[in-house]
Amino acid sequence: MYELFFKKVAEKITLTPAQQDIIKHYLIPKKIRKNQYLLQEGDVAKHAAFVEKGALRAYSVDDRGTEHIIQFAFEGWTISDLYSFLTGEPATYNVDALEDSELVLISKAAQDEILKQVPEYEAYNRLQITGAYLAMQKRLTAMLSLSLEERYINLTRLYPNLIQRVPQRMIASYMGLTPETLSRVRRKIKDK
Amino acid sequence: MRTKQTIAIIGATGNMGSAIAKSLSRGNYRLLLFTSDKSKLKNLEEEIASAYPGADVESINCSYTASWEADVIIVATPFAAEKEIADKIREVANQKIVVSIANPLNDSFDGLVTPPGTSAAEELQKLLPHSKVIKAFNTTFAADFAQPVIDGKQVDAFIAGNDSDALETVKELVQTAGFNPIVAGDLPVSRILENMQLLLIRLGIKYNYNWLAGWKILHQ
Repeated sequence: MYELFFKKVAEKITLTPAQQDIIKHYLIPKKIRKNQYLLQEGDVAKHAAFVEKGALRAYSVDDRGTEHIIQFAFEGWTISDLYSFLTGEPATYNVDALEDSELVLISKAAQDEILKQVPEYEAYNRLQITGAYLAMQKRLTAMLSLSLEERYINLTRLYPNLIQRVPQRMIASYMGLTPETLSRVRRKIKDK
Repeated sequence: MRTKQTIAIIGATGNMGSAIAKSLSRGNYRLLLFTSDKSKLKNLEEEIASAYPGADVESINCSYTASWEADVIIVATPFAAEKEIADKIREVANQKIVVSIANPLNDSFDGLVTPPGTSAAEELQKLLPHSKVIKAFNTTFAADFAQPVIDGKQVDAFIAGNDSDALETVKELVQTAGFNPIVAGDLPVSRILENMQLLLIRLGIKYNYNWLAGWKILHQ
């Protein structure tokens, strides 16, 4: 139920079986089906969701109703509206499932409790947030300074199964392009 | 809250389970109905579909899967079945809200089978130590759900539990069902709530309330 979760934790820190048990007590196993929302804009993000199996996306919707995908999350990734999760302010993102998924949810209160009882978890938590920050910086830099072809190639490296698992229009939305522009980019890469 | 919450109702075709299912189909919830008595399930589904065409309701043939998908689990089974259910759902009910509706009545309806120092809700909490057990819907009869206003007064429905977020969520459920929610206190207050229903049942039998009766706290 929490195999991948603890595997990922073990990549960063070492926990005793007793410490793993303490953490387990605070985790919420949650199954969600394709197209179901985990979070809708305007609600407070009460949980961070670790993906054991499946795929989700976080996106915002602008005034004209256009979706802008902020993040995809596949196995081993964590997804939420981090701002809302950390501050308790209403979320500006929606999070929904692209496939039937199995998640491990952690509430803010549970996270605080884990940090109190298992101080080692702090290092893991810090690395997670640092990782999210670095990913954000990379994404921003790519947006500002890389060509569309480079950005597309980087994206397929970051998410190896992206093309098989996510429709083209969502990849376009993630890159801030129209589907037509994206297919031109893909053609250009193929022709090279 | 805009995000639709998923509610598993274990024992969905019982008197209470079906009353809860019908009344919650009005709300912004996705309901997963589980029962060991499949014969009544189709009826219940049809009843809900015709009364609330937009309702998001599905029957599911495994209490474990239903609870795994759920944000809130309502255990609408008799007290005697609690242990068996708890054993099945423990793993996937971790940190989730589990609503205990049971009144641990004896066979002659004149006493409770739980010893004075505990309650059905506290016993369920012992069986599910890492879930957030909340007592609710135990002071209302099944018939009250169809008619939550009796003699011109909205029936009160009492709630007890230890987790404030969980109490808030269950309060919304009680409100959706049409009752006036009153948070009575921590989980051990369930002892009082379960005894209150014992009294109401006894009065109902004695004065022939015909199972349509409820509590109303009068205050200034």
